[in-house]
Amino acid sequence: MNRIKKSNFQDKKDRFVPYIMSGDPSYDAAIDIALELQNAGVDALEWGVPFSDPLADGPVIQAAGDRSRNAGGSLTSALKGIKEARTRGLELPVVLFTYVNPVLSYGIENVVSAMREADIDGILIPDLPFEESEELRELCGKEDISVISLIAPSSKHRMEKISRLGDGFLYYVTSLGVTGTRQSFSDDLAASIETLKTTATVPVLAGFGISTREHVQHFQSIADGVIVGSALVKFIGERNLLLQEEETKQKALEEIKEFVQELIS
Amino acid sequence: MKPLLKFCGMMNEKDYKKAVASNTDLIGFIFAPSKRQVDPGEVGQWATETPASPHQKLVGVFVNETVEKIARVVQDAKIDIVQCHGNESVEEIRTVKSFTGVDVYKTIHHNDRALEEMKKYSSVVDGYLIDTKTANAWGGSGIAFDWEAIPSYTKEAARQGVPCLIAGGVKLDNIQALLKYNPLGIDLSSGIETNGEKDERKMSGMTKAVNETYQQPDHLGRFGPFGGKYVPETLMYALEELEKAYEEVKHDENFSAELLREMKEYSGRPTALTKAERLSNHYGGATIYLKREDLNHTGAHKINNALAQGLLAIKMGKKQIIAETGAGQHGVASATVAARFGLSCKVFMGAEDMRRQELNVFRMRLLGAEVIEVHSGGKTLKDATNEAIRHWVANVHDTFYLIGSVVGPHPYPMMVRDFQSVIGEETKSQLAERIGRLPDEVVACVGGGSNAMGMFYPFINDDVALTGVEAAGKGTDTSEHAATLTKGRKGVLHGSLSYLLQDEHGNIIEPYSISAGLDYPGIGPEHAHLRDTGRVKYEAVTDSEAMAALEDLCKLEGILPAIETAHALAYVRKQAPKMNKDDVLLVCLSGRGDKDVHTIQEVLGGDKE
Repeated sequence: MNRIKKSNFQDKKDRFVPYIMSGDPSYDAAIDIALELQNAGVDALEWGVPFSDPLADGPVIQAAGDRSRNAGGSLTSALKGIKEARTRGLELPVVLFTYVNPVLSYGIENVVSAMREADIDGILIPDLPFEESEELRELCGKEDISVISLIAPSSKHRMEKISRLGDGFLYYVTSLGVTGTRQSFSDDLAASIETLKTTATVPVLAGFGISTREHVQHFQSIADGVIVGSALVKFIGERNLLLQEEETKQKALEEIKEFVQELIS
Repeated sequence: MKPLLKFCGMMNEKDYKKAVASNTDLIGFIFAPSKRQVDPGEVGQWATETPASPHQKLVGVFVNETVEKIARVVQDAKIDIVQCHGNESVEEIRTVKSFTGVDVYKTIHHNDRALEEMKKYSSVVDGYLIDTKTANAWGGSGIAFDWEAIPSYTKEAARQGVPCLIAGGVKLDNIQALLKYNPLGIDLSSGIETNGEKDERKMSGMTKAVNETYQQPDHLGRFGPFGGKYVPETLMYALEELEKAYEEVKHDENFSAELLREMKEYSGRPTALTKAERLSNHYGGATIYLKREDLNHTGAHKINNALAQGLLAIKMGKKQIIAETGAGQHGVASATVAARFGLSCKVFMGAEDMRRQELNVFRMRLLGAEVIEVHSGGKTLKDATNEAIRHWVANVHDTFYLIGSVVGPHPYPMMVRDFQSVIGEETKSQLAERIGRLPDEVVACVGGGSNAMGMFYPFINDDVALTGVEAAGKGTDTSEHAATLTKGRKGVLHGSLSYLLQDEHGNIIEPYSISAGLDYPGIGPEHAHLRDTGRVKYEAVTDSEAMAALEDLCKLEGILPAIETAHALAYVRKQAPKMNKDDVLLVCLSGRGDKDVHTIQEVLGGDKE
């Protein structure tokens, strides 16, 4: 059973899952950050793959992807990075977050077997709606890799269909638009998430725009956990240079840990 | 989608076996007084001895029969579908359904009240058959009714979510004409008989005609393996909503009439078909004809699609339209339509393109549109499209995304193709009038590919060579080109699977072409399919070849084409001399070159006075 399906994750309360971009600011630094997040007490990790045209993401994550690509980041190095992080003691459930084109370019079968080899637990492809995901589901099913689905407030009649396919957890998109920090959220979300939870057989995690401690608490109270991406990626981006210098790296990692612990607390 | 095929009126075991072997979807038997009436017990025996394929269904045809008798026949003859061919009421149909437990189709006789009739049976019957009725017989008279009415029947059936078969007078020599009306199903009886017997050759001819007719995309928006909907979940509902709205207007006469009026009275359609005599003589081969899309309002074919989508936006109750633009042509067309229809309009444009196409930016603003500068990525068309999609995701409830080419997620590639098909349709009838025949070869330039698709699609089932011309920029052996089909790999960009210019890691590569309208790293998914199936040939020509052809057309015909269009002309320059004087080479002159004067001057300026 992969780590997402195990009771550690399935039965946990108030799950907190951060997203970081692999290769940002460098291959090694991103692995350091992943391990630091584990120390900070997060419940799983979303590991982003850089792509030239990240449609579902806002400027913060696109910029992180560009930094990663400039530093040599790719799907290949993202897979390698987790493999290395595992040997360095990463125990968290890991979800590979990638757009579909890098996967097609690499070959779906190749990606799935490389994920198995790197001991990655799940995959989330934001531009692969469930209608197009049959082949991926089949291949991942054989390797015990969870295919995480997105559900949006606009999913309407699709919600039930998608929730029945829920694998590992469901990623509830808290606001229309792209990833990125937001001031406020629609009031209808609580009811919508509540409805979803009645048909879902796996935890429902809320993400997109969650950036403050108040947001985290609010969504942990209505969903089964939260995902925080842009706010953290921005914080990391601001420590870009510090993270790449041997003398300042530890301090920057410490700050990232504090930032996350502040969100969780 | 492929129409459902029904072979009806099997009179003996031999007929029945032929129908099973023909692979038709439905096999029909008449259980009412008729020259083709058969015995239920015998049909049951045939079906036991020669079982139909799993996808084939047996249909029993009844006329005002009692429910008890129908139930007995269903059992004896092993019938899967009951077809009520008489005056059966809604209540009677309901009883037949519950009594027999099988699907029931209702025959509707074509007349002025037929549509009203169909509505009455809504959510009761499982399918329709539209037939002619003559004074002497109930249907089956073998007379074709006015096929112009098919779309309205199809629309009503589609609304009810059931099939609708067209019957009466369908023969091998008119099936192609019928298929043009995109019927959901076809019912054949005398059309597959010779001397009162079912004819195997006619049967296979019919199956072949139906199977070989180009019917793309499928219901998932796939052209072969290409196309589809690769978008975030946040957009799926909007696409479904659009698909539904498009299906509705497609069969809506009022919509078509309104669109036709706008095209005629506002945009100036039909556009001229010009015989390029001096150009033909100069190249010394084929006789060249030019379809003058440059004569459209705003100077290119883009307005055809923009008008249609604008009307659709209004129909869907959307108040805002957004569009992406590279060179600014689609942006100008969208801004124009928004002004015409009183919609608000945002045009997303890469900062780099805005710098290069300053004049078009000014034009769009003058037309009242807001031009939004895009700073992500390479700051060109690809990035403008990303930004437009992102904006759409966030404002999906009141915003209509007016995509300018046959790209993007389903239904856009199909919808834009259909809206641009006016180009090919018009050309076809103009040629019929002028020379009384089809052209030998049709040529169009391809970036995303909308003028080419609009021109090619009406010729796709004809014996006509089709050639798309891509931009080879500084050469396909350099890194500076936009030859997606020649050099790309399969991949997903902006919501559909097609060929793409991409690096080893699947990141999209910025294309290059002297023409701003052709430098897109992808291509419409249908072009990818037509290339792989070999139906359309794709060639690439360089910047300098295009510029040389542009000069030829200016000097010999007094027409300044857009640089995009000049790519198609560059192919003509090479191809025409290889053809005969009697051969007709047709070119889609997609746009005028006034917008390019600055670039042309820069390139050619040095050699000229």
